[in-house]
Amino acid sequence: MLELPTIQDTMNDRRRINGPAEGTRPPVYASHLKSGGATDRAQRQREPTDLRKIFLKTGLIPSASGSSYLEFAPSSSLANARSNPKSLIPPSSALKLSCTVHGPKPLPRSAAFSPNLVLTTHVKYAPFAARKRKGHIRDASERDLGVHLETALRGAIIAERWPKSGIDLTITILEAEDDRWWADAPDLHDASWGMMNVLAGCITAASAAIADAHIDCLDLVSGGVAALVSDDSTEDSAAAPRLMLDADPAEHRSIMAACVVAYMPARDEITELWLKGESSKIALEKGDQRSAHEALIDGAVDAARGAHSVLSEAVRETMLRAVTPL
Amino acid sequence: MPLDTSTTYPLTRLRLDGRRWNELRLLQAQISTNAASSGSSYLSMGNTSIMCSVHGPAEGRRGESSGSAGSSGAVVDVNVNIAGFAGVDRKRRGGGSDKTSSRIAVILRSTFQSHLHTYLYPHSTISIHVSVISADGSILAAAINACTLALVDAGIPMPGLLTGCTAGMSGSASTPKDPRHDELDPLLDLSLPEEQELPFLTVGTTTVLPVGENGMDGEEETSVALLNMDSKLHSTYIETMLAVGIDGCSQIRELLEGVIKGSNRA
Amino acid sequence: MSSQRQASSAAQIPHLSPAELSYLYTSLSLPNSPIRPDGRSPTQFRPLSAETNILPGTNGSARIGFADGTQAIVGVKAEVEKTVLVSDTLDVQHEAQGTGNGEGGEGSSSAVTGGHGSWVQMSIEIPGFRDDDALPVFLSEMMRESLVGSVGVKDKSGEENMAGGLKGRLVINKRWHWRLYIDVLLLSQPLSYPLPLLSLTTHLALLSTKLPKLKSKGEEDPFFDDDWAVAEYIYPRVLGVSNTLQVRPPVTLLVISVGENVIFDPTREEIAVADAVLAISVTRDNEAGSLQPLKLLSIRTIDPPSRLTQPGIPNSENVNMLGAPAPNENVAVLNPATGEEEVPGVWRPRRGGVKRSVIAGMVKTVLKKGGVGEEVLAGLEGVEVS
Repeated sequence: MLELPTIQDTMNDRRRINGPAEGTRPPVYASHLKSGGATDRAQRQREPTDLRKIFLKTGLIPSASGSSYLEFAPSSSLANARSNPKSLIPPSSALKLSCTVHGPKPLPRSAAFSPNLVLTTHVKYAPFAARKRKGHIRDASERDLGVHLETALRGAIIAERWPKSGIDLTITILEAEDDRWWADAPDLHDASWGMMNVLAGCITAASAAIADAHIDCLDLVSGGVAALVSDDSTEDSAAAPRLMLDADPAEHRSIMAACVVAYMPARDEITELWLKGESSKIALEKGDQRSAHEALIDGAVDAARGAHSVLSEAVRETMLRAVTPL
Repeated sequence: MPLDTSTTYPLTRLRLDGRRWNELRLLQAQISTNAASSGSSYLSMGNTSIMCSVHGPAEGRRGESSGSAGSSGAVVDVNVNIAGFAGVDRKRRGGGSDKTSSRIAVILRSTFQSHLHTYLYPHSTISIHVSVISADGSILAAAINACTLALVDAGIPMPGLLTGCTAGMSGSASTPKDPRHDELDPLLDLSLPEEQELPFLTVGTTTVLPVGENGMDGEEETSVALLNMDSKLHSTYIETMLAVGIDGCSQIRELLEGVIKGSNRA
Repeated sequence: MSSQRQASSAAQIPHLSPAELSYLYTSLSLPNSPIRPDGRSPTQFRPLSAETNILPGTNGSARIGFADGTQAIVGVKAEVEKTVLVSDTLDVQHEAQGTGNGEGGEGSSSAVTGGHGSWVQMSIEIPGFRDDDALPVFLSEMMRESLVGSVGVKDKSGEENMAGGLKGRLVINKRWHWRLYIDVLLLSQPLSYPLPLLSLTTHLALLSTKLPKLKSKGEEDPFFDDDWAVAEYIYPRVLGVSNTLQVRPPVTLLVISVGENVIFDPTREEIAVADAVLAISVTRDNEAGSLQPLKLLSIRTIDPPSRLTQPGIPNSENVNMLGAPAPNENVAVLNPATGEEEVPGVWRPRRGGVKRSVIAGMVKTVLKKGGVGEEVLAGLEGVEVS
């Protein structure tokens, strides 16, 4: 067994029948791993600058003033595994999330006066979204994502057009990105890289939902991720890490650094930037004078530009639906 | 590890930390430690150390003061935070404040609400923030003393210094007191290991400067403002413990007066 | 309470009128020589007093007080814990793949000894905020991420000190590890965004943190030397070039941009008019051949409170001024920093984001040789860590 399920006191909520606090993983048998374990590892088959396909649709939830649904296309290894299953465990996962916007509506009477639109964001993983079960109460990483998302959107919304009002934006993540390949032990850089992809998806979806709710924005803001990946295909251990756009952490052996931006192409401005990791050892093309973090940010902006084309198409569809009644 | 007072104490008449029964731990205090608040203090009794800051009297938060509570006088709002690193083992908390700290906060709030001259500040809030940065017994007593100092620093009128102290018995004291061979001594100012083993109470007293006709004799009156006991002991011992505790309070009062007079805050 | 919780990422907005905001913005955005309300230079920090090892009951502790009276205390406590991650299958996995994995293989074999980020726990206590409010959570995630993200260095002799950074240092053997609790206590309601204060205090506390010396060897159940005097610093005291400590915990700096200026350690009023607020975490880079003295660990944008401020009304739109002759200066001009039309002297809440060139400029000011980051680390070294 890879990890024994631990039974901890389920003190947190007595009104529900809680699952195990720590989450469980399906058993992995050594014999199975020996036979073909190595081949099961997901491999990136896209070019470093290729993005995954994004499915984005708005207006799915009629009771909300704006809503959207976003899905990343499964990576090729996951698609293969689904069509020809060798193991019960999929090699990677693909992001699926839904976003709803309620409002603008008047602020509650107890709230202080605000001359601007007050944005509240809630990001919640469904309990089954990640390989490790998430509780019903938002944990630190979910709250952290909420703050990031709030920062990203505040910059885009023209808030002074709705004084004394608020909007609530809720994102439910149905399937989350992995932080690493499922069988890998956390390595030196065991940071939660999957969170960054989730954030990028959240930004793009939230932007579509806000447009669907007809809230004035400076521009459609979209999210993009770039990562420094130490190359896993070559046997040369000295290979310097390379820049990959929209990196799926399950497909890479070691991610050194990653960066997510929320980007508005019309103004060429970044409303949210989150960069972390060891970015000093980057191999750029000869003559490239940029430092590693600048290259990462530029890469993430390129990824965001890609997402923006999907986003604007989705918003255009929304508009067409509004002007041409069925 | 249980504290074996039955063997060590009767032989030497010295407690685990070398004190006699009626000795306080080293008390050090400072006021005006934090320039960002109206009043603040730092107080340590032995290894228990507490920082306290007072904000106000200030306009209360909307919604709270609009009720009837704030109209007659100031509302005292107490917030107690026991730091995670305060105890021997790191305390694990499931978010929010825990039982001990909210209990202390409730006691402090009711004590100071009735002690301070709150009628002078209608529609306002006096908020007290207590941080326990090291806990080694007598937290409630130390918190009372720290709050008093911080409130004095903030210049909030009160009838007299409110000081707190713990007193306990040097054994389980479950049988009636035997006047012929009394082996149990009352103990003053308990430390954490003593607190865990022995019955104890926390007492807070204040002196009221006499006014009017009765004030001619010039004698200060001591009144008990707070009494809190959670442990079980035979009722015959209460009187002894209370006397020792009240005596400890007046010792502490002198120390605190020295701190206030010694501070160079104009 | 609800309003407090909504003002999540940015500290509360001070009650400044649009006219005051506009005045502040104008003086802070003066090209090349911003005028700050307290007369500091753009890169100057507020004076502070610091002491370490103030709490005998902790493994390491520090207190920093800013001149405005805000104080923070950090206590670090360590506990021994059993490592639950059973990695048998991983070894099998490893054999199956052979040794030709290059760096990736190295990574997963050292995973057993590499430590785990969740072994460092951080909690921040800010008066007036609940533990799970957005601000404490965001701050602790921000500081924790740079702490566990920093990876150790190999010095010239090839001997590793701090392999795997702080996480690696917490490993005792395959079955046991230290769990580090970092408790940050802010003693009064924050007067400015508390990040610099908390980060500097945490830095000093970690620098003074000691773990008992291990007496057992190898895979035995660990037992430790009782003598606190021989306890080892968690960040070993290895002097590098020019007598500076080689391994240092990271520091997180708060940087704002106003107009074309980059300003460090902003006060609450200065943050209120900032175009962009960044939190930049750096640590010392000791890798041979690195050009910069510092290594970037993370960047996060912080929601600038200027987006939520009250706008001013130009005379041309003011009903009270209707009919009055419009003065000459009341003409909108293009603000080069924000790319928006503005009337000089009339405050507009900031909108939009930040240009890439501005971010690059801010990071460069921190990282460059002799830059602010180095200055801060050198200043913290001056604090006597006994």
